[in-house]
Amino acid sequence: MRAARPVVESRARGRGRAAPGPVVGPFVHFRGASAQELLRTSRSLSLGFSPSELSRLQGYFQKEGRDPTQVELAGIAQSWSEHCSYKSSRPFLVKHFGSLPPDPRVLARGDAGVMVLNDELAYALRIESHNHPSAVEPYGGAATGIGGILRDVLAMGAKPVALADPLFFGPLDLPLSRLPGGVKHPQYLFANVIAGIRDYGNRVGVPTVAGSITFDPAYTVNPLVNVGCVGVLPRRNLRPNRATAAGQELVLAGGLTGKDGLGGVAFASRELSSKSEKEDRGAVQLGNAIMKEPLIHAVLEAVEAGLVAGMKDLGGGGLASASGELAHAGGLGSEVHLDRVPLRETGMSPWEIWISESQERMLMAVESSNVKELLAIFAKHDVPATVVGRSVRGERERLYFHGELVADLELAFRVDPPPASRSLAAPPPPRHEPSPPFGRDGTEVVERLLLHSDVVSREPVIRVYDHEVQGRTVGKPLVGTLSTPSHADAAVLQVDPPGYLGLAVAVGSQPFLCATDPRRGGQGVVEEAARNLYAVGARPDAFTNCLNFGNPEDPRVLGDFNAVVAGMAEAARDLGMAVPSGNVSFYNGGLGAAIPPTPVVMATGIVPDVRRRVSSDLKEAGNSLYLVGPTDPGLGGSLYVRVFGGHATRSSPYQGSLTREVGERLLSLGARDQLRSCHDISEGGLAVALPEMAFGGALGFDVDLALEQGIEAWQMLIAEGGSRFVVEVRPEDQEAFERGLTGMPWIRLGSVTRGRGVFRRGERVFASVDLKVLYDRWRGGLGSREKRAHRRPRPRGRA
Amino acid sequence: MSEDAPRIAILSIEGTNCDQELERAFQLLGAAPEVVHLKQFEGRDVNPSQRRRLHDFSALMVPGGFSAGDYVRAGAVLGARVKSVLGKDLADFARAGHLVGGICNGFQVLVEMGLLPGRTGGALGSPQAVLNTNDSAHFECRPTFCRWEGGNFRPLAGQVAKGTVFYIPSAHGEGKLMLSGEKGNSLPELERNGQVLFRWVDPEGQVAGYPWNPNGTEGNVAGITNPEGNVFGLMPHPERSISLLQYPDYTRRGVPDGPGDGWKFLEAVVRYARRSGY
Repeated sequence: MRAARPVVESRARGRGRAAPGPVVGPFVHFRGASAQELLRTSRSLSLGFSPSELSRLQGYFQKEGRDPTQVELAGIAQSWSEHCSYKSSRPFLVKHFGSLPPDPRVLARGDAGVMVLNDELAYALRIESHNHPSAVEPYGGAATGIGGILRDVLAMGAKPVALADPLFFGPLDLPLSRLPGGVKHPQYLFANVIAGIRDYGNRVGVPTVAGSITFDPAYTVNPLVNVGCVGVLPRRNLRPNRATAAGQELVLAGGLTGKDGLGGVAFASRELSSKSEKEDRGAVQLGNAIMKEPLIHAVLEAVEAGLVAGMKDLGGGGLASASGELAHAGGLGSEVHLDRVPLRETGMSPWEIWISESQERMLMAVESSNVKELLAIFAKHDVPATVVGRSVRGERERLYFHGELVADLELAFRVDPPPASRSLAAPPPPRHEPSPPFGRDGTEVVERLLLHSDVVSREPVIRVYDHEVQGRTVGKPLVGTLSTPSHADAAVLQVDPPGYLGLAVAVGSQPFLCATDPRRGGQGVVEEAARNLYAVGARPDAFTNCLNFGNPEDPRVLGDFNAVVAGMAEAARDLGMAVPSGNVSFYNGGLGAAIPPTPVVMATGIVPDVRRRVSSDLKEAGNSLYLVGPTDPGLGGSLYVRVFGGHATRSSPYQGSLTREVGERLLSLGARDQLRSCHDISEGGLAVALPEMAFGGALGFDVDLALEQGIEAWQMLIAEGGSRFVVEVRPEDQEAFERGLTGMPWIRLGSVTRGRGVFRRGERVFASVDLKVLYDRWRGGLGSREKRAHRRPRPRGRA
Repeated sequence: MSEDAPRIAILSIEGTNCDQELERAFQLLGAAPEVVHLKQFEGRDVNPSQRRRLHDFSALMVPGGFSAGDYVRAGAVLGARVKSVLGKDLADFARAGHLVGGICNGFQVLVEMGLLPGRTGGALGSPQAVLNTNDSAHFECRPTFCRWEGGNFRPLAGQVAKGTVFYIPSAHGEGKLMLSGEKGNSLPELERNGQVLFRWVDPEGQVAGYPWNPNGTEGNVAGITNPEGNVFGLMPHPERSISLLQYPDYTRRGVPDGPGDGWKFLEAVVRYARRSGY
């Protein structure tokens, strides 16, 4: 078994075999220390332990009969951090998502969730946050966010095939006088986060196919940068995130280890402050896409060759987290030689090597007999790979540094902290106030909603991301004629070309609805993502979630969290969606500012045949426009209320089961090619949805808002609730389409034209907009360089 | 795959991230493509069974991506490495009339090696041109069209009518071709020599400037060849339009399925590689 030990063996041999001996100091004074002293120690070493955790630690080391070493404490601190342990959130996640019925579509719940695609293929999905690093160092923070999520998907044995990035910033026009001290301006954060995603994603060769950008003062202090990834794998290549037997070698592959990202998880597990820039910059890692790209190739080649038993990526908590979880999940212990870790700089202490969050690293458990072949693959790709330890029988973790034992801990104790005991306050019941009187000019409302910063065209951002690399993106983030692109509801990937199976990807969030009514918001974020999927012709399959919240030590924050997760689980059940993975990001906020509860989902749906995909752009004048689904006048959390004010807090009722019924009906009609276009109704209601459809097709529309009983025309215009879609149907298909919707609520709203965008109330015009003029303003609404460039005069004559 | 399937090497190093879709496109076209790491040509860190020689192949393609990260001038690092590993082999290969093609970053690499616009006789040398940062100063991923200018690109010459427009989408930040302007290396001379392979045009086939010319290259040049027409580089990605399903507006078309213009372009490449009989 030892025959194939690689070259590094010789270095350690001189210093003696790795046999357990007494732990070598220096030790940190713990036994007999007072609670005060312990707290001081925890602070001075930036360990972030709570008083109850310190007393638990003290008890443990009293039992061990010695004091802890610094490397032991550093490792424990990683695993017990909120970021790694989910100690505040786990009870609620278990209670709500854990109560969903067992789902045979879920193949694995690990670093990423893995779902069945067909008999041969599976896909992996995960989304997570990189909020705090992006707040202090937006370019590097966003880039390493991409790097981290790629590794999560890779750790399952999957090839990353798509990225999605939901982002939240303060307003771009925030006056400098209103910018809190130590906080970076939203324009700076926005530009650099986009550049970070662009430079990393494009280099690594994974298309960025979906995303969202929300601007609100609530995100000025603490922007949110969430990054999602989807991967595809042959099912036979699915690997567990654990060592599968004792005696497997632990191979560390990828980038060199340096002092960057020290204490990253502790930084992620407290609120931001005006000093974050100065004190926490070192906690932000440095990314290197050009190490990641061959690392992905090499890992997948090794997996395909059957050389990898199990693996984990090195993210938060570095080697300490990855190695601990890899061994513990396999019911094993481990030995790691910290001096064998290839370093980028000299003079690193064992504890620094142990918890460094240097990027582009993977840890694989490999049978000894496979090590040589595996290392050859990495050598071919010029990717460093080194055996740094092995899995062992028993459940202890022993760390060596130049042959000396520097840590010897019970692994279960080290990696599994007890849940934090926190109190929660139930959110106040949502107030039910009537909607405010309208009393506005309909045309002005349509224009202001369409030109809101959350609604205007994302084209300038989408175009700097390579959304087509790998050649699978058949449903692109921009749809419509080539000269008049508009937004897609979801991207669609041709999973395994030339086969026609497709996977749709949509992202969604509802922070303002969550702030109004957390449970309804939780339901809404899932329900809307499902509608995005149905709109492109996909059956919702799963979602992964990133739950961005404030400080969990605040009972109201935890109460909101509980309600949001309950709502999401409810919608998952009603819509038949699996929840195979997720991530929680607490401690968003600081300087007295709090973010609204911001659950974000990346949802996936199956498109049986991408040739039947539906897009949202209008296709032909003379076609009919239908509204499918019931309208509700509730305006709680709506864009209208955000733009025009008022106190409308009643939200529309949740109807997840109806969404599923309506959506399934549309799928069956789409399969018969009766939907020429389809768009879900969300932010801004019909006032936004119809112009978006018209923009893409460079067409117009004429619709009547006074057709639904009990709903005023203005409510019809701006309401966002209900399980609603707008659908375009050819005249010759109308009869069959209407028959197909028997039993569902639907209205024939009007028709597609070549002219303006006209909303009527019966005979009278309620709002009318010049779509050509409005398109240019909407398209240039983010104020890009592209807009200016686009208006340059055409060059004269032929070249 | 038939026996006469031409073997096409697709060069890879770290960051050549468009290799797999190009390989897939050639497979679907009935060629025998193989992604070959530069080290397999070099023979370093690979076992003998993985060793490859350039002359085992009919054609060499340098795919798009960000070779070596492109942290210095795009294509410079890979260009220098290819030169040092393959140097004379590659010059002989090109001189013998084999196809050597570069797409996007691959185009940048061939320019860095002095293979494009190229000297008569195919010798490698110092670069005579550069692919500079786009006028927009940023990366641009967008639909683009190229018009075949009836030059001496061997796979298309005499096969496809001059003026034929291809939909081939773009994704690059550094695509503005700037020639040194020295003798034998100016736009009028390239035009005279039939070295202008493609021009950027709008969907109607007319020269139209930004955004249909996504980078601002003078003369709307989207691709060029060497004087002999067997070494070529183009900025847009034909492997991203091999099927109509890859078109951004296929839901607006009556028939979404079928070969796209990228297929027609690469098919010509395969046909030539097969005909050239290596």
